Amino acid sequence: MTAATKRREEETKRQVERAIGRSGIDWTSVWFSGALVVLLLTTLSILLVLIADILMKAWPTFQERGITFVTDGLSLNPATAGVFTAIVGSVMIATIVAVISFPIGIAAAVWLEEYAPNNRFTQFVDTTVRNLAGVPSIVYGLLGLAIFVPLVRALGLGGSSDGKNVLAAGITMAVLVLPIVVITAAEAVRAVPYSIREAGFGVGATQWEVIRSHVVPSALPGILTGTVLTLARAIGETAPLLVIGVATGYFAPAGDATLADQITGPYTALPVVVFSWSRQTQAEFANTLAPAAIIVLLAVLFILNGAAIWLRNRTEKKW
Amino acid sequence: MEPHDADLRHHYDSELEEIRASLVDLGTMALSNIRHAGIVFSENRPEEIETVRNADIPINAKYTELEARVFEILALQQPVASDLRFLVASTRILYELERSGDLAVNVVKALARLDGIPTDASIHSAVSQLAEASAAMFTRGIEAIATLDPEIGMGAELEDEATDHLTASLYKLVTLNQDELGLETAVALFRIGRYFERIADHGVNIAENVTFVVTAQFPGEG
Amino acid sequence: MANNIQTAHRATAVPMKLNEAGSIAVSGPKRVTGGTPDDSNRVILELDAVDVFYGDFHAVDSVTIPIREKEITALIGPSGCGKSSVLRSINRMNDLIDTARVEGSIRYHGVDLYGPTVDPVEVRRRIGMVFQKPNPFPKSIYENVSFGPKIAKYGGNMDDLVEESLRRAALWDEVKDKLEQSAYALSGGQQQRLCIARAIATSPDVVLMDEPASSLDPIATLRIEELMFDLKQQYTIVIVTHNMQQAARVSDRTAFFSVDVSGGQRTGHLVEFSKTTELFTNPRESQTEDYITGRFG
Repeated sequence: MTAATKRREEETKRQVERAIGRSGIDWTSVWFSGALVVLLLTTLSILLVLIADILMKAWPTFQERGITFVTDGLSLNPATAGVFTAIVGSVMIATIVAVISFPIGIAAAVWLEEYAPNNRFTQFVDTTVRNLAGVPSIVYGLLGLAIFVPLVRALGLGGSSDGKNVLAAGITMAVLVLPIVVITAAEAVRAVPYSIREAGFGVGATQWEVIRSHVVPSALPGILTGTVLTLARAIGETAPLLVIGVATGYFAPAGDATLADQITGPYTALPVVVFSWSRQTQAEFANTLAPAAIIVLLAVLFILNGAAIWLRNRTEKKW
Repeated sequence: MEPHDADLRHHYDSELEEIRASLVDLGTMALSNIRHAGIVFSENRPEEIETVRNADIPINAKYTELEARVFEILALQQPVASDLRFLVASTRILYELERSGDLAVNVVKALARLDGIPTDASIHSAVSQLAEASAAMFTRGIEAIATLDPEIGMGAELEDEATDHLTASLYKLVTLNQDELGLETAVALFRIGRYFERIADHGVNIAENVTFVVTAQFPGEG
Repeated sequence: MANNIQTAHRATAVPMKLNEAGSIAVSGPKRVTGGTPDDSNRVILELDAVDVFYGDFHAVDSVTIPIREKEITALIGPSGCGKSSVLRSINRMNDLIDTARVEGSIRYHGVDLYGPTVDPVEVRRRIGMVFQKPNPFPKSIYENVSFGPKIAKYGGNMDDLVEESLRRAALWDEVKDKLEQSAYALSGGQQQRLCIARAIATSPDVVLMDEPASSLDPIATLRIEELMFDLKQQYTIVIVTHNMQQAARVSDRTAFFSVDVSGGQRTGHLVEFSKTTELFTNPRESQTEDYITGRFG
């Protein structure tokens, strides 16, 4: 290699180094990402302050009462009032919601995605379901009061509450979350690759066999995650329950109340307890018991979310 | 697909066209040396024997180069249909061209061994006629490559009969006059006759290969 | 260059001769044939003037192809020429698309597959399919192969059938120790061979392959091609491929489709159907020549 060639190569190398080298700091990017971090921290800190505030208010209750706050029933005496009745109510409502809305919602989703012909009717159903998911929950409460409470009464299940019981509440809540169940399940079904359906049809499977053996199993993790999260929504809702006559004050279930009595009798739920305690004139209810009930409600929601994640991981085989 | 985008393989097309043009060039080089060999005899120019022999060197070099090029294209482009027929025929045509060039050299080599080029009028005219007819037949082969005309190959066998007749009459003439010519000259003349006849045959083969390129069959087949 | 050759070809009038019997025969150029395919093989599938529509869209116009038993028939042509539509109409996979409609007839052992009493599910058990991208079920290797026979209520020994199918697909030795593992753990080429094993597990006599090697590397591709030669002993194979060299390598006969863009629609049609050796050495149609030599497409 001649000296001249070598010099030229050195010069080219220097030029390339300059051309592809870092040209200082990208201030726009730094500023923008900084702004994002500040916004994020603001949001988080508001949430943290809120939780910390509630925790501090709730702390004395848990300190004094321990587990009895969770295991004691309703009472007019703040020293003995607990949330057990509310937990039972919430769990029963959640169970009814699961039993009613999951099968109907998943079936509707499978029908919409797999069977429904692409016509006006299907589009109408699809749009309606999406719109229903956005209807304010209080409207569902009115629906429950107008239809489900009389329905429960007509079925002879009104019991001592005259139809204003967990059955009516569960049905109302089931209808409330049904559109969300349908939408999330439909999305999970839609996310199953078309190639898997083709593979099934290709070996001579019927539509039912393809759906049962391949589509639903593949969509199951997504369906489960979505539906369990809708349960959390059902447990957190207050407004519809107030409309359809949840007990907002003290009621005494008979000491020897059977499960049937609990289902047909008056009931309450965790968010309702929070609501009613915070409106009590006795300072203890509003200042320490209501925050403690909020903590219990949050714990239940956390447990439910955890269950959703656990279920998804369990059903989602590592294929 | 937009129909008939003829430029889609522009580079490939020009490569193939280059091969074809080079075949014509190589043919022209061989042809001029064949003619030269004939002239060495007909115009009695033994001093040009060496020129003819030397002229074969670039012909051989170009042959080797072109053959390598054809193999490269075969390997890299995986040609099919008319492209494949053309490239396969090209290797055959290259061989025919190279052999023809060698035969021109053989003619002058045969002359070189003699004490002098025979000047007997009848023999002289017979060889000259054969040389011209042979060059003419070879020219038809080159024409076929240049024009991609399949008709030339179809009639080539028939056309070549003229060369065969001229060769036969040369043989007869030499046989009749072998005592005067002497054994060595007679053998040389037989050879030269044979060489020119072969050159004409190569011309026929070339034209027939062109027919194959165009019609996918050799004349007389099917 | 090719255009020159073709022009010269067309200029050479194909001579019409009176043969001994006195009837007129067009004596086309004699073609180079490699021994196969055997014209005595029975025609197992007859595509007769098949048109494919998607709603108002006329995708394929009047395709007629006889497909012979135990041969590999390749469908080639540019994108949008309808070769996949034709392939999918053979085992009624097109039924899965609401708007798809097939006209003309496709006869399988003489029975019109679009006849009113024909059950598409039964058709697909006899005419299997392998898709462009390997699409094993998200299940074990064993379940992938056994699913088809299981739903067809196969009465024999399932383990044997799974082994036999995997052996025929040249996959057994690679997977015999991990039949319970996920099919997704296999490489792309292995997954495609698993899909072939799955397709032949229902004992079809025809296997349709829609660009089966287009997502595989060259070695995996060659392996699939080798496998096709073996499968030909027992099955009739119809393959759609974008890779002309692949069609040339594996098939006995080739159908070349083109697309007509006139009139605003892109309607595919059959240009030429010949023995592969003929189509790739001396195609009859200049359009075929243009396509296979890469002059357009």
